Amino acid sequence: MRGEKFIAIMGLCWLLAGCNRHQSTLAPFGADAEAIRHLFIVMLVGAVGIAGFVAWLMRRAVRAPVGEMTHRKGMRLVLWLGGIVPTVVLLGLLAYSLPYMRPRPVAPADLRIAVDGEQFWWRVAYRAADGAPVLSANEIRIPVGRTVAFRLTAGDVVHSFWIPGLAGKMDMIPGRTNTLVVRADRSGRYRGQCAEFCGLSHALMALDVVAMEPAAFDAWLEGQRGPARGAVADVAGARLFAAQGCGGCHAVRGTAAASRIGPDLSRFGQRATLAAGILPMTTANVAGFIRHPQATKPGVRMPAFPQLSDAEAMAIARYLEGLK
Amino acid sequence: MSLHAQDDPTLRAAQEDRLRAVWKPPSGWFFRWTDVNNNRIGVWYTLTAFGFMLFAGVLALIMRTQLAVPNNDLVSANTFNQLFTLHGSMMMFLFAVPMFEAVSIILLPQLLGARDLPFPRLSAFGYWSFLLGGVFVSGSIFFNAAPDGGWFMYPPLTTRTDLSGLGADIWMLGLSFIEVSSVAAAVELIVGVLKCRPPGMRLNLMPLYAWYILVVAVMILFAFPPLIAGDLLFEMERLLEWPFFDAARGGDPLLWQHLFWIFGHPEVYIVFLPSIALFAMLIPTFAQRHLLGYPWIVLAAVGTAFLSFGLWVHHMFATGLPKISLAFFSAASEAVAIPTGVQIFAFIATLWAGKVKWSTPLLYASGSLAIFVIGGLTGVMVAVAPFDWQAHDTYFIVAHLHYVLIGGTLLPLFGGLYYYWPLITGKKLSDRMGRAAFWIMFVGVNLTFFPMHLSGLEGMPRRVFTYPAELGIGWLNLASTAGSYLFAAGVLVLVIDLALSPTRPKAARNPWNAGTLEWLAHPDDEDWGIRSVPLIESRYPIWDQKDFVAKVDEGRFFLPDAEEGRRETIITSVLDARPVSVIRLGTPSVKPMITAVALGAVFILTTYHLYLLSAISGVVTLACVLWWLWDTAEIPEKPEKPIGHGMHMPLYSAGPAAPGWWAMFITMMADATAFSGLVFGYYFYWTIHSDFGAGFDGPGSAAPIMALGLSLASWVGTVVAREVHARGQVMIARILLVAGTIAAIASLFAGLRCLDGLDPKANVYPAIVWVLTIWTVVHAAIGAIMQLYTLARSLAGRMTPSHDADLRNITVYQHFYALTASVTYLTIGLFPETGL
Amino acid sequence: MRGWLKRAHGLRVTLWTLIVPPSVWAVHFLFSYLWAAVSCAKIGRWARFPTVFAIGTVIALVVILLAGLIAWQQSRTPGDPPPHNEGTDIDRLRFLAFSTLLLSGLSFVAVLFTALPVLMLGDCR
Repeated sequence: MRGEKFIAIMGLCWLLAGCNRHQSTLAPFGADAEAIRHLFIVMLVGAVGIAGFVAWLMRRAVRAPVGEMTHRKGMRLVLWLGGIVPTVVLLGLLAYSLPYMRPRPVAPADLRIAVDGEQFWWRVAYRAADGAPVLSANEIRIPVGRTVAFRLTAGDVVHSFWIPGLAGKMDMIPGRTNTLVVRADRSGRYRGQCAEFCGLSHALMALDVVAMEPAAFDAWLEGQRGPARGAVADVAGARLFAAQGCGGCHAVRGTAAASRIGPDLSRFGQRATLAAGILPMTTANVAGFIRHPQATKPGVRMPAFPQLSDAEAMAIARYLEGLK
Repeated sequence: MSLHAQDDPTLRAAQEDRLRAVWKPPSGWFFRWTDVNNNRIGVWYTLTAFGFMLFAGVLALIMRTQLAVPNNDLVSANTFNQLFTLHGSMMMFLFAVPMFEAVSIILLPQLLGARDLPFPRLSAFGYWSFLLGGVFVSGSIFFNAAPDGGWFMYPPLTTRTDLSGLGADIWMLGLSFIEVSSVAAAVELIVGVLKCRPPGMRLNLMPLYAWYILVVAVMILFAFPPLIAGDLLFEMERLLEWPFFDAARGGDPLLWQHLFWIFGHPEVYIVFLPSIALFAMLIPTFAQRHLLGYPWIVLAAVGTAFLSFGLWVHHMFATGLPKISLAFFSAASEAVAIPTGVQIFAFIATLWAGKVKWSTPLLYASGSLAIFVIGGLTGVMVAVAPFDWQAHDTYFIVAHLHYVLIGGTLLPLFGGLYYYWPLITGKKLSDRMGRAAFWIMFVGVNLTFFPMHLSGLEGMPRRVFTYPAELGIGWLNLASTAGSYLFAAGVLVLVIDLALSPTRPKAARNPWNAGTLEWLAHPDDEDWGIRSVPLIESRYPIWDQKDFVAKVDEGRFFLPDAEEGRRETIITSVLDARPVSVIRLGTPSVKPMITAVALGAVFILTTYHLYLLSAISGVVTLACVLWWLWDTAEIPEKPEKPIGHGMHMPLYSAGPAAPGWWAMFITMMADATAFSGLVFGYYFYWTIHSDFGAGFDGPGSAAPIMALGLSLASWVGTVVAREVHARGQVMIARILLVAGTIAAIASLFAGLRCLDGLDPKANVYPAIVWVLTIWTVVHAAIGAIMQLYTLARSLAGRMTPSHDADLRNITVYQHFYALTASVTYLTIGLFPETGL
Repeated sequence: MRGWLKRAHGLRVTLWTLIVPPSVWAVHFLFSYLWAAVSCAKIGRWARFPTVFAIGTVIALVVILLAGLIAWQQSRTPGDPPPHNEGTDIDRLRFLAFSTLLLSGLSFVAVLFTALPVLMLGDCR
């Protein structure tokens, strides 16, 4: 039964849109989004039924011969269809939906990921039960089948952390810490996006989400520790990076660049996208972004570097892409 | 004057001449704008609001064009953010709410058989404030200075001056000004419904429109003030750096969200209920029978009004509040669907029971009901918090709210336009064009907004100026854009229909054969409103009362004459509409316009940080208000006058029998609500900080107690003055008023002493203490001005022991002031220091 | 009880009495919200058995029920046949009383709606 409904919904959706599978509440990969989708389908079926019934009744009412409806019968209709039936239905819906509000329990050993919203990117820190935090930005990796607790904060203005396929959204509010506990059930590459208006480039604040098999995830997280590899792969780029003062805002572990103002670039080359889920990670895109970040992202905090030549910008880009 | 006197046609003609002379509108290129007659003010108001609606609609079309295809660059992010902020703000503040007030200003006197509303000049003031503020806010987009923080203006994005510019101030101050005019209109409408009904129109015979207006106006009274309080805190942060929403200094952005949505959710019902009220008028007409379930509709209106104040957190489901708090609001959000359903089924039952005359207005009514039902059902869905965590701030919500607002506000208004056009212009609109416009709009709305449900579920957030192609929502958005143009085409057809109206012939009187009082209006209407004020014995007097129209027209009911050459209307009692008195209404005057300009200048100059000029405008505003008031509550040349049928009514009333007293009481309810918003702020900060106020030398207890004592002395002085004055001891009353004034001014200084050594920029604790204290001492100052004004009235012979409306009115103010001072000084003086 | 209910006919009915039941709902709602907010923010948790909340809810329900009972009595004041929409004192009384009765019903249900979450969600998370 549930399967049929699901097929019907998805069928309608594909017909209309050719849906995406990676940023959709209708194509969940997490347990919470799956539960909410189920709730939605139940309500949708009810809503369609009610809408159809009201339309039918309205048609009937307008066409009815005079005298069919007496004052007494009319009052009974208002009492039952207007008063009692909606009360019972809504009370039922409330009782049915309340358990969905119970948050997922979290154990001390569960993985915690702190995500901090900034205009217009995400600061990410993995805190496993043991060891120092692993810093990253604009991409989140989570293990499939394990409970993960996100600790959500905001650095400047209100943002909202939303990965439609994983769970409902949760706001990030300056001065407050919110918690969102989730569990991914299917591996794959997904996308999330800021859902609370946060300024000029609110539309351009997305993030990549990678759900990995637990073993692969553990190995990946272990690999994140320690200095950036490939930091010396492109010596010219590395020198330019330092000379232009990029380290004043960015950090590359194992080098002099250690500032936490902007996104951490230690594993920059591992990410699939640039500028918080906006551009594909190509050398040309990276070079272009360095020279004119405002052209991609109006209102971005990063200053432009128009003084760099094409070759210089490409060198820095190659250096950054080598950081894995 | 006996009944038979009216048989004499020459007497009738003479009466009509006198009425015509009294109600003659002012002329001249400037002075015609000083008119205050509700017929004209209402029409200006409606046209202006309609114009703002068209403007905001064009903004929406630009947005839809930008979103037609992925990665479009028709407009920049900066422009787009201004577009959606202004679209939402204008549709809410400059269209939906003012439109309801405008329509009510036209209709209410006619529905109630009154010559005009009780305070015609207040209506004019409201209109000019609205026009001025509206042009100021909407015009900003031509200077690329429009607000761009969203219509909800969430701090800190909007309070940090490095992240947002002048637009935020324009929004805050421009719309605060309009909120003031909305509250003014609400006062006018409440007093109109409660006190200006025709004799015999008991509460159970009141037209349902009047019930809805009463309910909605009361809602405005409780919904707008929290926003005004929020605006105050907001501007204090922007202009003076007081940290109400700055987390680094103890503030909290969530307080704004609370205050905004305490306003914002009732607001939805404030704009929805008046449209339902239009249904409640036109459905009986086209079913040609009484509405079924009158008390059920009253239940629905009152019930919705209450429940709508328990929904605000459902806009904050994703803010991380405790789940149990969310669940309370989820429950109330579902409960509110019950009264809404009751109304819809009462309408269906009425149509079922009646003989339906199919017509263009009814087409609009049923079409909008269909759209509204869809919006209502998605509303129940998003009231379920877990689903809202997905749907919130996505295009699903955009779809939901437009279904609700178009089905629940816009299309019913258009239906009302087709229904009431003959009442206002004497001409019918084209049925054919009306139907064409309807179907184009109906298809357009669904094509625009239905796909948005899906694009939202497919991951499209709101307020994005573009979206990537990979989301696969390009087709959905293209459909929405096409639909929006179709909808606009429908509106265009409607506008053309309106524009062609002057070329059409006059329609018959009461063309729909309606039963309610407003259809007494004649196609060649006179400015006096109604020829004689009728005695009402039925909910549908034109249908049920014998020879009703002829009797009204022949002046056989009350007040058929204007012997003294004054504009007058009858005041009746609240429950049973027994005649109480006759009041003299305000005549055309420049005062409302000048006062509106002066008050507007205060807000607009503050926007540009021109504080000195702004302060001067403030003083000018005060002077204008006093100048305006000086003519009110005048002592009549004779104690009473005949109103026909051997009845004599006093020409003066004071205390609860007088409209002015009610206006003061209602205004102070709004004032107290705004104040409670600030007090809520104080205790809100206390709950979120375990160490609220720690580390600061608070005001202590001595200074607040001192200030409170003096405030109460001012209150007692006024109350005792009223009592002894009523007993004829005028001199003692004057002395008490002077003493009260001195106590009020002393309390002002004592209040300011509370602030010694508190730096409001340092932390939210001193800042909120400052705001509460300043609010209170400003009220002390206003109280002192009122006491001096009353003293002056007494000395000028405009107030005597038997004509003491002024003194009674300021006593109402003083009651509220005593309450305000008690809450403020006890809060800052004893809490949280007493170890709680 | 009978005699007491009969006396209800004599009670004054105004616009203020009309809004007693929904006002009780509003007070109860505000009470619930503040109770939850303060116990979660200030105490950090709530009592295993929320006594305060239960007492508040029962009081609210009883007051609404009483208002409804009085209104029910008054709405049965003898007079003309339905639909009771004449311009008489009795019909005005019947109208206000019946509207109050309906509002009592709605308010009663709404208080139950508000109480349901406490039964089903028992903590501050």
